[in-house]
Amino acid sequence: MTTAMGAHRLDLACPPDDVTAVHDFLAGVWRDEPSIGAEDRMALELALVELTSNVIEHAGAGRGVSCSLDLDVADGTLGAVLRDDGGALPIDPAAASLPDALAESGRGLALVQMVVDELRYARVADRNEWSVRRDRRRSGH
Amino acid sequence: MDIVVHEAGEHVAVLQCTGRLNMVSAPAFRETVDQVVKGGRNNIAVELSGVDFLDSSGLGALVGMLKSARSAGGDLRIAAPSEQVQMVLKLSNIDKILRTYPDGDAAVSDWA
Repeated sequence: MTTAMGAHRLDLACPPDDVTAVHDFLAGVWRDEPSIGAEDRMALELALVELTSNVIEHAGAGRGVSCSLDLDVADGTLGAVLRDDGGALPIDPAAASLPDALAESGRGLALVQMVVDELRYARVADRNEWSVRRDRRRSGH
Repeated sequence: MDIVVHEAGEHVAVLQCTGRLNMVSAPAFRETVDQVVKGGRNNIAVELSGVDFLDSSGLGALVGMLKSARSAGGDLRIAAPSEQVQMVLKLSNIDKILRTYPDGDAAVSDWA
């Protein structure tokens, strides 16, 4: 059986778009890329929905935001880049950590860190750029 | 996300949830639990078998609702989390503060 392996892209304008578009986009990717195991799917969906939520809530605060999500499926890795035209964020993703147990926010980036092998943030030409890489786990172990 | 409220006792409710608990659905979820608590049912079991996605927005809502229920003299428990929900509860350590039961009936058995 041949397996579609390659690039997938989603463009979002929020509002009216929201993270539902990311869930729907990924459902399509999973259909096209049946080789991606359940653990990798859960990890990537959590990471990309968290990052997009973050962009909508912070980068687009008050005025909306446009973003694009590029997902690259390769043999050994899953890579994604989320770019948005929102304001710059004073964020160091490496410093993300879980807040107190009873906090009601502030867990997003810490969760992303836990489910990917690399998370980077950069400000590139008036755009925010979030990159994640996850090394694919072999299924069935 | 769809939420069906089952009144399981004078002060007990089981909320059967289906769909995703994320930044889109979290506000309505909080509002529903608030109304149930205000209506006098401050012991809440959230049945999650139909929830296939939970993220930090959903976790924030669950923690907020746990605090509301406790400040009203009750508690909030969760039941039947899916594999994805279990993963997120464990990664976030929320499994340490939110007690998990196999199903909605088990969650409310000592409340009814």
